[in-house]
Amino acid sequence: MVRETLEVDVLIVGGGPAGLAAALRLSQLQTVSAASGSSGETGPMSVAVLEKAREAGAHALSGAVLDPSALRELIPDFQSRGAPVVTEVQRDRVYVLTGQHHVRLPVVPPPLRNHGNYLVSLSDLVGWLGRQVEEAGVDMFAGFAGQEVLMEAGRVVGVRTGDRGVAKSGEHKPTFEPGVDIRAKVTIFCDGVRGNLTKTLMQTLDLGAEGHPQQFAVGLKELWDVPESRVPIGTVIHTLGYPLRREEFGGGFLYGMGAGRVSVGFVAGLDYRDPLFDPHVAFNRFKQHPLISDLLRDGHLVRYGAKALPEGGWSTIPRLFSDGALIAGDAAGFLNSMRLKGIHLAMKSGMLAAETAFEAVRAGDTSARRLKAYEERVSASSIHTELYPVRNVHQAFGYGLLPGLAYAGLSLITGGKGLGELRGSAGPERMRTLAEYYGAATLAPDVPAADVPVPDRVLTFDKVTNVHYSGTAHEEDQPSHLLVNTSPCTTVCGPDYGHPCIKFCPANVYEIAHEADGTPRLQINASNCVHCKTCDIMDPYGAITWVPPEGGDGPQYKGM
Amino acid sequence: MILVVSEHQRGTVTRATWEVLAAAQAFAGNAPIRVVVLGHENSALAGELSSAGVGEVLSAVHPALAGYTADGYVAAIQQVMTQVGPHLVLLPHSYQTRDFAPRLAARLHVAIVTDAIALEGTPEAPLITRPMFQGKLVAQVRPAQSGPALVSIQVGAFRADSLKRAAAPAPIRTIEVVLDTAEIRQRPEAPFQEAKQAVDLSQAERIVSVGRGIKTRENLAVAEALATALRAEIAASRPICDNGWLPMERQIGSSGQTVAPKLYVALGISGAIQHLVGMKGSRTIVAINKDADAPIFEVADYGIVGDLFEVAPAIVTALEKA
Repeated sequence: MVRETLEVDVLIVGGGPAGLAAALRLSQLQTVSAASGSSGETGPMSVAVLEKAREAGAHALSGAVLDPSALRELIPDFQSRGAPVVTEVQRDRVYVLTGQHHVRLPVVPPPLRNHGNYLVSLSDLVGWLGRQVEEAGVDMFAGFAGQEVLMEAGRVVGVRTGDRGVAKSGEHKPTFEPGVDIRAKVTIFCDGVRGNLTKTLMQTLDLGAEGHPQQFAVGLKELWDVPESRVPIGTVIHTLGYPLRREEFGGGFLYGMGAGRVSVGFVAGLDYRDPLFDPHVAFNRFKQHPLISDLLRDGHLVRYGAKALPEGGWSTIPRLFSDGALIAGDAAGFLNSMRLKGIHLAMKSGMLAAETAFEAVRAGDTSARRLKAYEERVSASSIHTELYPVRNVHQAFGYGLLPGLAYAGLSLITGGKGLGELRGSAGPERMRTLAEYYGAATLAPDVPAADVPVPDRVLTFDKVTNVHYSGTAHEEDQPSHLLVNTSPCTTVCGPDYGHPCIKFCPANVYEIAHEADGTPRLQINASNCVHCKTCDIMDPYGAITWVPPEGGDGPQYKGM
Repeated sequence: MILVVSEHQRGTVTRATWEVLAAAQAFAGNAPIRVVVLGHENSALAGELSSAGVGEVLSAVHPALAGYTADGYVAAIQQVMTQVGPHLVLLPHSYQTRDFAPRLAARLHVAIVTDAIALEGTPEAPLITRPMFQGKLVAQVRPAQSGPALVSIQVGAFRADSLKRAAAPAPIRTIEVVLDTAEIRQRPEAPFQEAKQAVDLSQAERIVSVGRGIKTRENLAVAEALATALRAEIAASRPICDNGWLPMERQIGSSGQTVAPKLYVALGISGAIQHLVGMKGSRTIVAINKDADAPIFEVADYGIVGDLFEVAPAIVTALEKA
């Protein structure tokens, strides 16, 4: 098979906030160095961005409250250039929920004060950033996913994009096109939370050896249109407590985006104990709480989406460099789980990675020794100032809501000094078996718990209906992009854990179907997948590997 | 005068072209009709078209027209239109027309009306009926611009067999078009078909569609018996095709086909929104499902809450008696 090869100086994998900030920073650095005449002998630097979505922003999902610091540093005149960053936060509210009641915290904790921040649609912001990058002359390959890391003698030399036109049977359809090898002097991996390439890179090069294991959460979000006067523009509501139990980390949010548009969502830590915990059910219960259902009444669902997020913080960030490679954004875990913000950190890390890559390519040395400068830059930057003091907060919530809150408060007072290191557990390590969690009483594995409310299709929806509102589309005739070793499913995972995949997946990708003789069988509805990565993180046997489907496939999060 | 732009595949005139000729004939009144064929070696195609009961067959010839290119077709049709001065140009609403006709309209600064299902008025001032909002409404439109309007005719809107053929073949005139091959920016490759589509469900009048409620592959026989009795095509929701019980081309819904038959029988289909978007335009929907709360009943005209394995055979028996 003949594969096309493309040579670039810097390849950026993933066109999200980190990747696009990196691309834009590279183009700015070139402009500066061309103006000063210092690039004369080497010529312009070639930069390419790979993005699996059909267009920049289509797979980007967040709350989102934006701290504009990094955007302002990258594009000082972002407002006059029409960035979709206009709605300033007007009021912050934090509530503790119980089953039917709520208590408003009289004082909003400092990390949740959003004065000067903006309510944005991350998808629209990333779409706008993508246009800035294209206008800057960077080659943006939207609709192409990075499928595998190209390595030679332990050095990253680029990325291979996915084949197109492969049938479910594995045969090549007449439209078959082999993936392209994009070779680069430096590859910046910005493939997002649990990025498939960063994951293999970390395994191959053992980049996570010194840090603590990454911890994750999954966020589910809907856009609603409600009567315009209901939620004033710029309203930010965060909640703690119900429907989560004290052992579970997470909370809800509801933002007034203006003109009756409301962003409502729920984040649940992916380190829960109850194997039958279902984040989607928790989200529905949250919406049914009177505080929220009153705000959504007479409104209607516009969009739905879900995405995992890295919650581990500073001490879980892996080694960020190797020969020919850098890691930035959510892929590296740059997120402040106490402020519930990561976009600005992703952008900042992308910019620092770009600066490092630029110097290294110009110097003709892209070895790990040279690229280590990135880690030094990060440590000397606002990222460190912000993340280091709160480095153990998510881990502390591992001990429960109240110890977590106490620890968070202590971190604020002391700036994190003298608090030692708390080690968290990754993904499903804390998940208990049915017998451990529910006692000897044996539950029928794949039967939903009796108290799970039936969606009313007005306020609450089943997963399949929600998937429709995510705009998700995949070519049906292609191999499953969820590589699942199904051997533990019915032998141990069902009896021991009750098939947690059918619970934690927010898109009904996993189902237990029954053969004619009643034998259970895992059915994988890969075309429902909203690319949230929860299954890759949370499956107790590590039997699920998420790889990108055919480029361009997936959700359509415009406006989210 | 009405000019029909013909289309051909693998050396024969397409069925859609004959439908456009039938539309032209029904509409023209006393106005003459001409049909143009574009290509390199056109004599067989021109001969085929000369039986169509038209005034004249125009054979626009150039080596660069041997394969379809948008630039080549736009330039050639523009020259033919300049030479013969039609009042109205009719085209089949095919993928090829959708590719080049908007460019042609823009080049000539004339109106284009697509997907027409009926024509009234005169060739000089036509009143054109076309669907809007995915067929939920139909609108009648009139080209506001002067000059010959381009109108593409929906495939299947007119019947090719209603075309009145002429006893004597129409004269064939060859038009040598002048093309600058450097101006043609596309290079056609040999045509290929992506996938063999054995059935076209969008053309079916009746469809029996099965969902998860069918439980096993063997049980499909129940649905097939009903389909046979109703002379209907068989189709399915996604899980059935995903299991390989029926080929993917029979899948209805957002990731399959969109259909609007006269009768749609949903057997054991719960009615996930992804399925509903593919069939809710059906004229009459009959749903058979055990679960009275299934969303399929919200779109059904007739709903039977019951076991499909009892209901479907009972319908077959009743049909056999009738």
